[in-house]
Amino acid sequence: MSRTDAVTRILFEAFSAAEVRLFYVFGYAAIGIFCYGVYVQIRKYRRGAALNLPGSLWARLGDMLANVLSHRTIGRRDAAAGWAHRLIFYGFLLLFLGTATITLQYDILEPLFGIRFWYGNFYLVFSLVLDVAGVALIGGLAYMMYRRGWLKLPKLDYARPDRSPGDPDFNRPQYRREDWAFLWTLVVIGCTGYLLEAARLVWLQAQPDVWDTRWWSPVGALIAAGMRALGLSAEGGGALRLGLWWFHGLLALVFIALIPYSKVKHIFTAAGSLMVRDPQAAQRLPRVPDTEGSPGVAKITDFNWKQLLNLDACTKCGRCHEACPARAVGAPLSPRDVILSLREFANATLESGVLPAAADLDVHGKAPGQIAMETLWSCRTCMACVEICPVAVEHVPIIVEMRRKLVEDGAMDPLLTKTLQTIHKTGNSFGESKRKRGSWSKPLPFKIKDARKEPVDVLWFVGDYASFDPRNQKVTQTFAALLHEAGVDFGILYDGESNAGNDVRRVGEEGLYEVLANSNVAALKSASFKSIVTTDPHSYNTIRNEYPDFGGSFEIQHYTSFVKQLIASGKLKVTQPLKIRATFHDPCHLGRFNKGYEAPREVLKMLGCEIVEMGRNRANSFCCGAGGGRIWIPDPVGMEKPAQNRIKEAAVIPGLDVYVVSCPKDLTMFEDALKTTGNEGKFAVKELIELIREAIPLHRPLEAYA
Amino acid sequence: MKIMVAVKQVAALDEDFTIREDGRDVDADFLIRDLNEWDDFSLEEAVKIKEAAAEPVELIAVSVGPEEVDESLRKCLAKGADRAVRVWDGSLEGSDPIAIARVLAAVAKRESARMLFAGVQSSDQSFAATGIAAAAFLGWPHAAVISQLEYAPGAKSAVFRRELEGGLLQEVEIQCPAVLTIQLGINTPRYASLRSIKQAAAKRIEVLSPADLGLAAGDVGEAGSASRIRRMYVPDKGRAELIEGDAAEQALKLAALIREFKGDAA
Repeated sequence: MSRTDAVTRILFEAFSAAEVRLFYVFGYAAIGIFCYGVYVQIRKYRRGAALNLPGSLWARLGDMLANVLSHRTIGRRDAAAGWAHRLIFYGFLLLFLGTATITLQYDILEPLFGIRFWYGNFYLVFSLVLDVAGVALIGGLAYMMYRRGWLKLPKLDYARPDRSPGDPDFNRPQYRREDWAFLWTLVVIGCTGYLLEAARLVWLQAQPDVWDTRWWSPVGALIAAGMRALGLSAEGGGALRLGLWWFHGLLALVFIALIPYSKVKHIFTAAGSLMVRDPQAAQRLPRVPDTEGSPGVAKITDFNWKQLLNLDACTKCGRCHEACPARAVGAPLSPRDVILSLREFANATLESGVLPAAADLDVHGKAPGQIAMETLWSCRTCMACVEICPVAVEHVPIIVEMRRKLVEDGAMDPLLTKTLQTIHKTGNSFGESKRKRGSWSKPLPFKIKDARKEPVDVLWFVGDYASFDPRNQKVTQTFAALLHEAGVDFGILYDGESNAGNDVRRVGEEGLYEVLANSNVAALKSASFKSIVTTDPHSYNTIRNEYPDFGGSFEIQHYTSFVKQLIASGKLKVTQPLKIRATFHDPCHLGRFNKGYEAPREVLKMLGCEIVEMGRNRANSFCCGAGGGRIWIPDPVGMEKPAQNRIKEAAVIPGLDVYVVSCPKDLTMFEDALKTTGNEGKFAVKELIELIREAIPLHRPLEAYA
Repeated sequence: MKIMVAVKQVAALDEDFTIREDGRDVDADFLIRDLNEWDDFSLEEAVKIKEAAAEPVELIAVSVGPEEVDESLRKCLAKGADRAVRVWDGSLEGSDPIAIARVLAAVAKRESARMLFAGVQSSDQSFAATGIAAAAFLGWPHAAVISQLEYAPGAKSAVFRRELEGGLLQEVEIQCPAVLTIQLGINTPRYASLRSIKQAAAKRIEVLSPADLGLAAGDVGEAGSASRIRRMYVPDKGRAELIEGDAAEQALKLAALIREFKGDAA
């Protein structure tokens, strides 16, 4: 197959010089408008606070490309949308590269160096590829239209839980209009491209170099055949081609010009957001620099540039809206709407030439664009939103940094105020004497080593709930007995231990967190041990991920993986396998936060349990509602609690015996929810430790310990 | 103008406390210290008055006590006091509310304060006397157990309300300067974040001795006091017993108990 260089498409064929110049005027105008828009956006981000990104830029680029090219994040929990977006993305990308290739030759290589390559076989393959790309683009867009128009997905409903019908920003119809305008514009650009291609073929049907190679543009050739069958002449084709050429060309230029001003900008902002993402965004919250006068975010400019970029990356896909436990029970919070409100606020204030006065930059309040404190306090910091966001928006740090300002102003529930004062005074949230922290161990028939006084292999960080809550104390005693039985050399810090601070930090009381973290790091450092074990996922998270920032890097395990090793190594033997049907609730701080999904399930299997998963499991586990300090804030009366919502999900499992938890707060929350949802007696809520104890009978009856 | 707020660091009992060797107080090892709850409300009331005032107001938190009291004073500074004064030396040991009030009055005179706020009472000793006694030393009018207050700095008088028995409210106008002791619930004390407490460390706490205030040795301590704590103790617990069973059984047991008390041998 050899083709001459006559096999190509002559650009601006039959155009006068004036017409070509006119097109370039439009082209440069579009580029100018685009560039100005980009400038305004970058100026907006630069008005945010400074932030130095850790890590290498190349690694970030690679990570971003891997996410973007694979569409891994977009396909999660919505495979169809993922595939449709892949079609649009790759279709658009190829068409863009195609246009760029033509520009490369026509505007750069040929005029400067006389190099031509866009002809012959290359041209034909190029035509074929772009024809296929166009089909992919239009196909993907058609599915998206079907999805928006017919599927009526709740996550694409823009009605807000934090506003009432009648509020000006209740359901934001302008977003719906923009979504449709975006889809239709691309569809029309794609379709007119094909019509244009076909009209050209009809027009040039007498030229064998064009006509005989037409099937390399199969869609265009098909439409051309149809046009001819309808009686379109060559002259008619020429006229149609000219009209379509201008329409298609100008629409494409308008589209390009509007990229920075519309949701189309997600092409750049989403990629940028993925590139600057922090894989530990919610696990390790940012510190407040000592130099910072007032902690937290009060003004929109207190957000750093990365957070402002996050706001623009959101494509309103609604995955966070769907995953949020607060939203699910009707609390006035949707992570999506927090992000969109702040984006509207940033656009209204930071896109103008002159930065408005500080008073007009306050993001706290009830006006459109502002965030109400009820919204911020509804958050459980469970990380469901951050985890599922396909474009790496980090909602939790944004919410916590705004809460820091509320804490500074004392704008919080009186009971939370009281709890924070109590923790400051006594080091625990129960208001118990420091001296009583180890009292749960008194009834045990053996003495637990004081790790401050003698070296131990394993230091057990007990945590507040496991130490002081009467129901959890029983579990704590059982775990002590298990460790004792397995011959583990372990100890605790007694009154040297304080509340780990995980939830205090997530409330936004950073100063108190610093006190607690420093105190615990000092206590841990003064003890001699090889590794830490904890039964509390909250303590686990902050010790593992946040204490290193306070000079305390320790090896720490959650008890689920520790017990798994004890059973696997034969130190604990399952002698009475449990013939029960169990479902496992992933605690946020063990699962989503630290990816500890498998160890508890493996332990359950070792114990002989049949595991039936709930629909929302592992990364999509549904928070019990106690996180982020919400355990210290009463839930509104009459509103469903997240824990009740969760228990109802478990209750539909046929023949369920036990709802297994592995977190002290979960035990408290779900035992309560079991009663209040009327499921008591149908199945039980148990700590995994209690099941282990049933399958591995201790030499002594448990009663001897309690 | 200056408003002075008298505050006290109170002690709360920890688990399993013991009485000090001299038998007159609890062993300090078993006490958890914190700002007196009533003083939290009286400070908040003063801060609110300052914030609403048209003219500049300087708020001075004053306490009598050893160095550890600085912790509570820092909390006051974090919540909005401009300055703190702590009066202490060994001669103050053993002072009763009258002696403490003499010191507070001396500070108020030294500062030319135009108003003195105090809590109704302290949660540990509950004398409810210090504020009122200070008014006597200053020669100012006083009012106690205030549950609502309207006062603008510089005004000649203040209007306050007090809750009386039977759901009655009493509205009173008082000439200023005056000493007002504030009841719990008059407002919602603000939260002092740990960060603001840390930043308050930059504000100075002035430490004075009774001598600095022109007080003689006989004005403070036990010598300057009108009362003296003799002893502190946990009274013997009485006994209570629930008598169970049907009427006949209960009657039998009761009869046996009566005989036991009478000393009749069973």
